[in-house]
Amino acid sequence: MILTVTPNPAIDKIYWIDRLDLQGEAPLTRATRSYLSAGGKGINVSIFLAKMGIENVAMGFVAGETGRALERRVREENITTSFIWAEGETRTNVTLLEKGSEQRPVQISEIGPTVTPQALQRFFAQYKRVLPRARYVFLGGTLPPGVPAHFYQELSRLAHKHGAKVIINAAGEPLSLALATQPWLVKPDTRQLRQIDGYALTDASQIARTGGYFVRERGVGALLVSHKITHDVLVTSEDIWDLEAHDVCFKNLLGAEDALLAGMISALIRGASLLEAARFGMAAATASAESEGLIVTDRAQIESVMSRITVERL
Amino acid sequence: MKVKEIMTRDLTAVEPGITVKELILLFERSGLTSVPVVDEEGRILGIVSERDIIEGAMPGYFELLYGTAFFADMNRFSQKLREIENDRIEFYMTSDAIKIEEDEDDLTAADLLIRKNLKALPVVNRDGILVGMLRRIDLLKDLL
Repeated sequence: MILTVTPNPAIDKIYWIDRLDLQGEAPLTRATRSYLSAGGKGINVSIFLAKMGIENVAMGFVAGETGRALERRVREENITTSFIWAEGETRTNVTLLEKGSEQRPVQISEIGPTVTPQALQRFFAQYKRVLPRARYVFLGGTLPPGVPAHFYQELSRLAHKHGAKVIINAAGEPLSLALATQPWLVKPDTRQLRQIDGYALTDASQIARTGGYFVRERGVGALLVSHKITHDVLVTSEDIWDLEAHDVCFKNLLGAEDALLAGMISALIRGASLLEAARFGMAAATASAESEGLIVTDRAQIESVMSRITVERL
Repeated sequence: MKVKEIMTRDLTAVEPGITVKELILLFERSGLTSVPVVDEEGRILGIVSERDIIEGAMPGYFELLYGTAFFADMNRFSQKLREIENDRIEFYMTSDAIKIEEDEDDLTAADLLIRKNLKALPVVNRDGILVGMLRRIDLLKDLL
């Protein structure tokens, strides 16, 4: 079983527009289409895994009517839920995809509900109950108000205690603190800053140097870093690989990173090596980026992209 | 059809040590009306519902009465509820909770729900660990 933790899940609302018009006294932009889904890093990973027939449990904090809608949508995907109810309202995140600028979506993110110490305590009790059945624990995304920065560090420490492999996709202090627990795989979220714990991740050679340091000196199992949109560098204790997706026709990049990690986990469950899994994950990310929906979960469609994913040793 | 194929895949549960007030907040926020009470490993210790809390907050002599005609207002109830709000919910839960294994069939589940007049059944795996809840609506959806 896979356990995914999304501390601050959201209802994702995507609008496709011809042009974002901000002129005039009361600018109005009409959407040509819209799409609504349960979202957040771990939720997207859970949805992908469930579609692949992989049993998983989704955890996180939810609140209000949006929280109920999110929970219902997640359950409809055949995912086991184990949410903790907080005060306030679960986030609704809005994305505008302007025609011709799909690679640069305009995003509006809410902060999320406030988590009380009691809710936090209940989360840990529930997390400890689910952990003994988990092979992999995926930790991803931002933390809502009230959740301390060492949250991921503590979850990772507990997961190690139960022998589960930890995959973390986060940024800032929560990620920096979690690194001390030597997670099995780290994918820094570089959307805001291209760095990890203060170390630069600007280009392939820099990623290779920083990755080498974290794997050899800091005990991180492996580091995966995206760059130049179509590349991912995988740093392991044995090798450094550059994976590239060719001839990509971008339509929607929103769920691509989550598809990458979810694809990797699904391949690992099937017995693939880390490199093979990364290649399948990149195919899943590419297929998702080329579709208008959030994540492509059709295995045949993903397999058809595999021939466009090349791997080179750095 | 097996119970695991039709159950609600939700692991929401509480520990016996949470307070009545925390439980009321959970019911209010989640929309649930009952939850399993579990130990540290997820084994069922009991089940606690809104009804258990209402009964717990009723004056002790209430069950001797035929109705609420002798009650002037809700003040006594409200006062009693405040008195018990910090109590551990284990004092109010139904300890001998009826549960069902995930590999049982839907007919057995329907029989239990009807015969015992239950709204929901905790579903457990072979080790007795909570894996979901089977509600009446899950069965109805299954049969439709």
